Amino acid sequence: MNDPYQILGVPETATDEEVKRAYRELARKYHPDNYHDNPLADLAQEKMKEINAAYEEITKMRSGGRSGGTSGGYGNYRGSTGGYQQQYSSQSSSGSSVLQQVRIAINTGNISRAEALLANYSDHNAEWNFLRGAVCYRRGWMDEAKRYYQTACQMDPGNTEYRQALEFMERGTQSAYRPDNGQFGTEMCGGNPCLPLCCLWTLCNGGGYCFFC
Amino acid sequence: MFGYVRPPLQALPQEEKERFRRMYCGLCHALGRQYGQAARFILNYDFTYLAILLSEPEEGPVSSARCYASPVHRRAYLEPTAAMELAADESVILAYWQLRDGVADHDWFHGAKYRAASAVLESAYQKAAAKRPGFDEAVRTQLSRLSELEAQRCSSMDQAADAFAVLLGSAAGEVDDPVRRRVLEQLLYHLGRWVYLVDAADDLKQDAAVGSYNPVALRFGLTDGAWTAEARREFALSLDHSIRMMATAFELWDFGVWTPVLEKTIYQGLFQVGKAVLDGTFRKSCREDERKKLKKVEESK
Repeated sequence: MNDPYQILGVPETATDEEVKRAYRELARKYHPDNYHDNPLADLAQEKMKEINAAYEEITKMRSGGRSGGTSGGYGNYRGSTGGYQQQYSSQSSSGSSVLQQVRIAINTGNISRAEALLANYSDHNAEWNFLRGAVCYRRGWMDEAKRYYQTACQMDPGNTEYRQALEFMERGTQSAYRPDNGQFGTEMCGGNPCLPLCCLWTLCNGGGYCFFC
Repeated sequence: MFGYVRPPLQALPQEEKERFRRMYCGLCHALGRQYGQAARFILNYDFTYLAILLSEPEEGPVSSARCYASPVHRRAYLEPTAAMELAADESVILAYWQLRDGVADHDWFHGAKYRAASAVLESAYQKAAAKRPGFDEAVRTQLSRLSELEAQRCSSMDQAADAFAVLLGSAAGEVDDPVRRRVLEQLLYHLGRWVYLVDAADDLKQDAAVGSYNPVALRFGLTDGAWTAEARREFALSLDHSIRMMATAFELWDFGVWTPVLEKTIYQGLFQVGKAVLDGTFRKSCREDERKKLKKVEESK
């Protein structure tokens, strides 16, 4: 097994507090909420498992023989803290077996199948729009995703699942992980003279851009 | 379409700036060795990022040499690696098709500079395409898809951006490790999407003036090249979702020594460039820089 200290990126001499801080930072980064509906969520989950195991091992080693050595805050990051639900579970499905299959296809990452099923389904109801939005999001079609979620919400304003999806599109990036705890967003990059970052090397590449700009 | 991805220099320590520059110079040498002096003019930051993303987590051996850009002082550069050669081949293919696109988009007179440049690159392109047929095929397919969408005046900005995004994503097609390939394809897809959309936003005024196709203008119904507050907010949100996808992909692979420059670029540089484009100050700051650059060159003579 890999060295747990290496996984957390701290030296073996790190204090308990430093270990905990490193763990929390990594857990924030790979937290399921940060990979919500992300096509790479499975990889993040692997990372999360690895980090949890490493932290657990260090805590166990350090607590030595002491029984019940606790690790404050460790459990906090185990699962989702209740962002909008990760799985497209059956509970909110309207009962259509095709749309049920679409949910299964999305959950298993088979986006092409989900797309094909949706294309052949003629009743474009609220759930259809919602699932279409979910497919778009995974494909990276962010603008369309939001518009389908909007339609779903208009057709069925009372549905929590659809509303949460739309809220995520509206505000989701605000909660995105950023290493320096700074704000995440194009319109957030404020006051600082935003762009004294042009060429550093005179002459290099003199002709390059003029063709493309 | 090139020139929007840049290192946020003010946020990087000297050491990282120099590392980036060693890669920049290394890629230039890789282009020169493979494709001759003339091919070096295509070098830009975008291709440097491509080389960084495809590179190993460690920096390889460093050499130094004088060159046209630095005829007096020797400059340190990374000895071309297999990854840098892949990036050089892909850069030639991308630059060539971008130029052919320029030829197709302009009349005979205004297309002259594109024709001239693509003629210079012709033999380099033939060689690169023979070496990387898969990537060449992908670029041609996606660009013809893109020009079809443009001809139809496609009003879905996601669909238009998808062609360029898929094109860039295919630059990771030759990566062996399946996890690494997934991470890079996702990162490059959204980088491509972001670049395409930012480029369209940057062209908003110009396209409105001459009536050219602009997916962003069509999507938000902007007729005079000016943003409405609502459209601007929606658009920035869409960019942010792509940056988030890039960031989450980036965190899933160990880029080793390249981590700091990539991190600052993704979490800071892209936001800054996007903001400047939305504010309409991006082109201006480029031109001013260009002027200063020229002035500096004149003075040093």
